[in-house]
Amino acid sequence: MSEHLRASGAIDARRLGQEENADGLRARNARIAIGDPVMIKVRRSDDGRLQEFQAPYQKAMRVLDALNAIALKDAPDLAFRWFCGSKMCGTCAVRMNGREVLACWEAVEPEMTIEPLRNLPVIRDLVVDRTPYERKVASFEPWLTRSVPYSGFPEPLSHRDIKNASRAIDCISCMSCYSACPVIGLGSLTDFAGPAPLVQLGQTALDPRQDQRQVARALSHSGIFNCISCYKCEEVCPAHIPIVSGVIEPLKAKVAKLVPQMAHHPLIFRAVVARRGRIDPGELILRVQGLRVLAVVPRLVRLLLRGKINPLRTLLRVKTSAAGAANRILNGAESSS
Amino acid sequence: MRVLRTQVVVVGGGAAGCYAALNLHRKGIKTIIVCKGLVGKSGASLFAGNLVLSGRTLGNTEEQARNTAEFLIKYHNQFLIDQEWAKRCGAWIASVYYPELEEAGLYFRRDDDGNMVVSPGKIRSIAANVQGNSGVPFMDLRRKQVIKAGIETIEETVVTALLRNVDGSVAGVFGLQVLTGEYVVVLAQATILATGYSDRLHTRSTGTREMSADGIAMAWRAGASMVNLEMQWWHTNDVAYPPTWQRMQIYPNPMLGSKKSARMVNIDGEEFFDQQKDDPLAFGPYTVQLKALAKQVHIGKAHYTGGYYAGFDRCARGEVESYTSYAKVYQQLGLDFPKSLIETAVTAHYRQGGIDVDTTTMASSVRGLYIAGGVGGHSNGLIALVTYDGKVVADSVADNLANLREPGMPEEQAEQERRRLENLLAGGGGAAACAPGELKECVRALMWEKVGVEKDAHSLNEGLEEFARIRREAVPRLRAKTPVRAANYDWLDAIDCLNMIDTAELVVLSSLQREESRGPFMRRDFPETDNENWLTANLLHKAGSGYRFEKRGYNLSMFRPDFARAENLAVPW
Repeated sequence: MSEHLRASGAIDARRLGQEENADGLRARNARIAIGDPVMIKVRRSDDGRLQEFQAPYQKAMRVLDALNAIALKDAPDLAFRWFCGSKMCGTCAVRMNGREVLACWEAVEPEMTIEPLRNLPVIRDLVVDRTPYERKVASFEPWLTRSVPYSGFPEPLSHRDIKNASRAIDCISCMSCYSACPVIGLGSLTDFAGPAPLVQLGQTALDPRQDQRQVARALSHSGIFNCISCYKCEEVCPAHIPIVSGVIEPLKAKVAKLVPQMAHHPLIFRAVVARRGRIDPGELILRVQGLRVLAVVPRLVRLLLRGKINPLRTLLRVKTSAAGAANRILNGAESSS
Repeated sequence: MRVLRTQVVVVGGGAAGCYAALNLHRKGIKTIIVCKGLVGKSGASLFAGNLVLSGRTLGNTEEQARNTAEFLIKYHNQFLIDQEWAKRCGAWIASVYYPELEEAGLYFRRDDDGNMVVSPGKIRSIAANVQGNSGVPFMDLRRKQVIKAGIETIEETVVTALLRNVDGSVAGVFGLQVLTGEYVVVLAQATILATGYSDRLHTRSTGTREMSADGIAMAWRAGASMVNLEMQWWHTNDVAYPPTWQRMQIYPNPMLGSKKSARMVNIDGEEFFDQQKDDPLAFGPYTVQLKALAKQVHIGKAHYTGGYYAGFDRCARGEVESYTSYAKVYQQLGLDFPKSLIETAVTAHYRQGGIDVDTTTMASSVRGLYIAGGVGGHSNGLIALVTYDGKVVADSVADNLANLREPGMPEEQAEQERRRLENLLAGGGGAAACAPGELKECVRALMWEKVGVEKDAHSLNEGLEEFARIRREAVPRLRAKTPVRAANYDWLDAIDCLNMIDTAELVVLSSLQREESRGPFMRRDFPETDNENWLTANLLHKAGSGYRFEKRGYNLSMFRPDFARAENLAVPW
């Protein structure tokens, strides 16, 4: 973890375990010499099969260099999209050996399987249809609407105020996170907008200049509480955006403030922890469901039999010794966020 | 074939095209953008590293304002620029450009106390979010402004021909939607070409995947005049490897919040360029660097293809990382930053010349055809300048719209174009076919070898002969390998290739015509900068099936060179 990130308290999920496992991959790649064959399998969309190719290793070769070599020599009809070739346009993301990478940015591996991104329709071979993503972003009204008229250049603004938005601005909308997100992988089972659209939303929603009514409108159909904080998105982000900690979590805090009915469950969860110093499933269910609890009595009985809820504890052990600490942490977190 | 009708069609989704479309839309004029890539996500505009402060912006002194103008005219354009245009442009940038961008939401980098972070020195700049990456949020903003305005965009669609009315005026464009393989015609009263600065005609080029000089080639076929096509700008310190990063520059510009910047050393580790020492006035010191490199090449201590190095080893790590993205190259390659230097090489960058325009109206010499941005031959280099073009062209098209005719559908031309494209696809490869991807590389190699940094009449004539041979032997056999229509980039390569060949030839002809060396344009057989004879625009007109050249003087109202003739390598700009 870099010192900068350590100091700022942010978790760089991408780097977790990297030092410990100084592995593997780098050592393997160090053994490739210029001219050695790189073995490449590419998922072709016409028959769904992996087609095998070889390309001679070039100095510091990137995945995109390998694809270009294939297109030049063996398969000119191989479809893959790229424009800038240097991590700016964000159009060349693919999956290499199962993980999302920007083809222009990632080093080749001696043996690699290249497949299109998941969670987006494939147009041909490695080219995916970006429109589902574009539609979601557009529905968030991703532009600045000022609640206070612009005061002229330069307007008063400090980096501290705009830090999280500024991280989101690094997004090149490459869709790597969208492909890696397991919740998006559930398809229409949830209404989760997905990490990439939320990062796009964060660019303006976390900007102190933005009209909060517009933020509320966008968040209310973001499905943001479906995020399970698995950090997959951060792990694959080539722009190193702290998507969960720096964007999704601050956006969730915005929901609690601006659209509290949407944050019903997490707000009660928080209140229970603050009061008791631990989570109490019984109280959580009662307060979240309210009178609707009567409709789920059989489920309650099952929970009771399995020991998941304990009415006595709910009634009697309201406060634990951890309550003070929980309060301090939660309130402390609140005042610093 | 889809046929759409609109008042104005803009070809290109970069800084110039987007701004033109946004301004036309604001005036209530129906506009459609056709973009070969994705609006705001392809093309050269993304590469804007920082935003140079003009005029008295942000406390610029009188001297700094003057330096900025001098830098633009001298170092960026070697005096081949209309200085009155530069004045208008500078005034607009200072008064409109920055406030408008900020009001729309662009974040100009501040420090934690709220001060705008500026690079210090004789010319100053600021950045959008991060220096080295300013073009990304800048163009992302434009993309979203276009979405917000509801301007129709046809993306990943290559315009392959300009359609003409019977009177010769431009009637709109013919295009191929690359992802589906379907054709589209957009008919309009005015067509604005905003296809960008770079054309990727050399083996090493900063231009992006989709760049292939389409704008110049199509405008030439439609009869538009060209200017200074020989004036090719070069990056001297783009990374030598990996191949796809050839457009990644070790930025020599002053850094935000620091007094230092990158330096370059030769094969023996001897420093031969440090912008702060060698020319602090040359803010984007590309030509100055190139000349310094040429001297190293002449004494055998570097090659244009590598063997010299650049980096930030004289800077502290935090100094570079605080406000710039410059460390990313080193970090991604696992190099020790900032101690390590990286091998660099020359890359063909902007084409300084381009389509000739009237800078007050952005009209080309063909009726109904307007130009905005880098594809024009009137200026060079900065995202602010091309944005200004977007404003001027929108004003001028709006003023003139009533005089531009409603286009009819040129059925015959559309059918002819459709057949031409089908021929490049049909039949498939076969043993006798010429592979588009290979021919593209062949054209680039030819340009690199014969029309590279240093050239002479001999190499240029050899280049012309080679192009004649390619036309004879390769072009008739040019075919995509498979007839699949959707996302067939091989087919696209075939279309691109013909534009590249046409433009490359014009570049060679123009290079032969300019019998001097000037800035980045280096002729071995004419090593002097010749202000007596060549402080002029080098105009190339179409004449029947051939061409003719013409010279046109420049307005020198602010700055003029202080010598008549001098060895180009000894000229500081």
